[in-house]
Amino acid sequence: MDIELSTEDLAFRKEVREFFEANKMKPGEDYATWRLDWFAKAKEKGGWDVPKWPVEFGGPGWSPTQHYIWEQETARADLPFDLPFGLGMLAPIVMGYGNKEQQERFLPDIRARKVNWCQGYSEPGAGSDLANLKTKAELSEDGTYYTVNGTKMWTTVAHMSDWIFCLTRTDASGIKQQGITFLLFPMKQDGIEVRPIITLGGSHTVNTVHFTDVKVPVENRIGEEGQGWTYAKGLLQHERTGLAGLSRSLVALEQLKENARTVARGNGTLMDDPGYKAKVAELEIDLMASEYTELRSLASAAAGEAPGPESSILKLKGTEIQQRIQKLTVEASGIYAPAWGAEQIGLPFAKGGMAGYLSSRAYTIYGGASEVQRDVIAKNVLGLKRSKK
Amino acid sequence: MNFELTDEQRMIQESVERFINENYDLDTRVALCAKDPGFSTDYWQKMAELGWLGLPFDEADGGFGGNQVDVLVIMEQFGRGLVLEPYLASIVMGGGALKRGGSDALKTEMLPAVIDGTRQLAFAYAEPQARFDLDDVTTVARKDGDNFIINGHKSMVQNAATADQIVFSTRTSGGQVDQNGITLFLIDADAKGVSRNDFPTVDGLRASEITLKDVSVSADRMLGSLDNGFGILQEVANDAMLALGAEAVGAMEIMYKDTVAYTQQREQFDHPLSEFQVLQHRMVDMFMEYEQCKSMLYRATMETVQDPAAAQKAIHALMHVVGKYGIFIGENAVQLHGGMGMTEELRLGHYFKRLLVIDSMFGNADFHLQKFAA
Repeated sequence: MDIELSTEDLAFRKEVREFFEANKMKPGEDYATWRLDWFAKAKEKGGWDVPKWPVEFGGPGWSPTQHYIWEQETARADLPFDLPFGLGMLAPIVMGYGNKEQQERFLPDIRARKVNWCQGYSEPGAGSDLANLKTKAELSEDGTYYTVNGTKMWTTVAHMSDWIFCLTRTDASGIKQQGITFLLFPMKQDGIEVRPIITLGGSHTVNTVHFTDVKVPVENRIGEEGQGWTYAKGLLQHERTGLAGLSRSLVALEQLKENARTVARGNGTLMDDPGYKAKVAELEIDLMASEYTELRSLASAAAGEAPGPESSILKLKGTEIQQRIQKLTVEASGIYAPAWGAEQIGLPFAKGGMAGYLSSRAYTIYGGASEVQRDVIAKNVLGLKRSKK
Repeated sequence: MNFELTDEQRMIQESVERFINENYDLDTRVALCAKDPGFSTDYWQKMAELGWLGLPFDEADGGFGGNQVDVLVIMEQFGRGLVLEPYLASIVMGGGALKRGGSDALKTEMLPAVIDGTRQLAFAYAEPQARFDLDDVTTVARKDGDNFIINGHKSMVQNAATADQIVFSTRTSGGQVDQNGITLFLIDADAKGVSRNDFPTVDGLRASEITLKDVSVSADRMLGSLDNGFGILQEVANDAMLALGAEAVGAMEIMYKDTVAYTQQREQFDHPLSEFQVLQHRMVDMFMEYEQCKSMLYRATMETVQDPAAAQKAIHALMHVVGKYGIFIGENAVQLHGGMGMTEELRLGHYFKRLLVIDSMFGNADFHLQKFAA
């Protein structure tokens, strides 16, 4: 055991910092152009545009320490915006279960950030119990296309997406995990209607998506018909570990302290208030432990081992930490916490703090609600028999 | 010892409940929030006709001589209905300051219209630097002949945009955080030098930042005596906290009951969610904390009626539990509703946002814990 960064690691960190510095957006530069450019330059560095992809698909093949350094540096830098759906969630499935033609067709555009993907999983009756999904895909008599009918719900950025990867039901005769088929199709076509769902923070990121007789050619099916659940399960694991967001929480914690230091109390600031300070300290301690939980998990992954039991707690701990940071921001806002509307009132972080707090309540719901995560740990890690209910 | 409501109180409770059932569905509320003045002036008039606005005023002032228990009965139902009309701002706070500190002449001039709903009041107690401290007052009132000249800034003034007069806490002597040297004035909302920045709050209500620049007010608009306004300020804040506590308890009741109902109807893994033990226990906790908050509400209210001076700790205790467990119930109600709990379509989220605002108005759970322990 050793926490010292090696000379190579230090050199890597320096290189990452220099790259971020050299490729900052310049005043007057067009955002969209800069964004695509940035990823192109990161690609030239040897797969820095797809850090988590395997080497055979163009990834950089970093050590766990390098991944850790990258996470830390990206959380602090001003990077172009990126979404996880194509890059982190669909791509591993296409690599693992797609055929060569599909890999060549879909991966380059995902990598270049040219095509935006959304994830068609949850449905009105299939939330935590995802396998309960009912969106129906029927194979045509000549076996060349599927006809998709049904409704997906909570579909993040569906209104801004070019394509969707979708779990559909092709057979309802067996147990519900069977008969699920994994299909890919374009969003901008007849028969697809996207309706916004406005969430508590007043924002529009999730949607309801209705499919009416949407035709999907069979070559857009990943793997075998009826095996979609197996593919998706692996993907869910990906999603869950990706949601811990610890590096971002570290940065958010610093911001939280900085905000609290602008709130005058007596001769000091809110950060001198014993009650507030203690809550920030508790949060920081949990975050310190979680960071090392993540590192342990990364290290076993790098050694080619299956993710250890420690990795199962990351989503739970990580999302709860994110929520606590948001809650403490609202507390720091004091009387200004309720201020809403277009203008900034009172404290500069008050409105964003409240909006962030409200949105953060979803963190323990999506990607497997915390209650379901605990069920999974009880069963798979502690080896407990499923509780009666 | 008796926790029964009187016949009159029960009648009021039923009448408020009926009013809300008939008038206050979520769509109506959302529509009212969206347009000026942010509540229904028809409902306000109706509340006046039903006698609710006059309830906490003395009979000599044209009221019904009610006390904090009567206000509790109304506010708890308002909490269950998520009512928008400015009962807290105009009746409990503005009216509360006026009835305590106004001269007979001023009360005769002002209160009848407050009670019949044609005049609205507001209460400007908060300042940017003060956070939750009522005695931290930098708005200065300087004597100038028979008048006072006032300069300063008041924050988060509820319902200021529709108020005809606003009560301001000002500093007439002493240091920034001295309780002595605070004086209250009733100032016309459209007086020269009063400027407002109006904005919505996250719960769908409205508030304003108010700047006072060389505002001249006659000495006979003083509430209470010179330099001795803090007592009234604290009493009004206490009444407001009791009213907010009642409103919060009403909101918590809806949230835990909606959650119990939803989990019985929503099926996942081939069972209603309500059959999962982990969720049952969570709902039992929500129910327990709701009942505890209600007990603390009764305790603080009854102690205030009996002896206001001895009830301060109970009021801090109330606001601590209401802040802490209101958010506990709100967060878990959202969690157990899953994605649906995150939408504006269900009423749940609207209640949750109101509880968050209640936890910020006169101090959050931490603040009241420290006050209690002090």
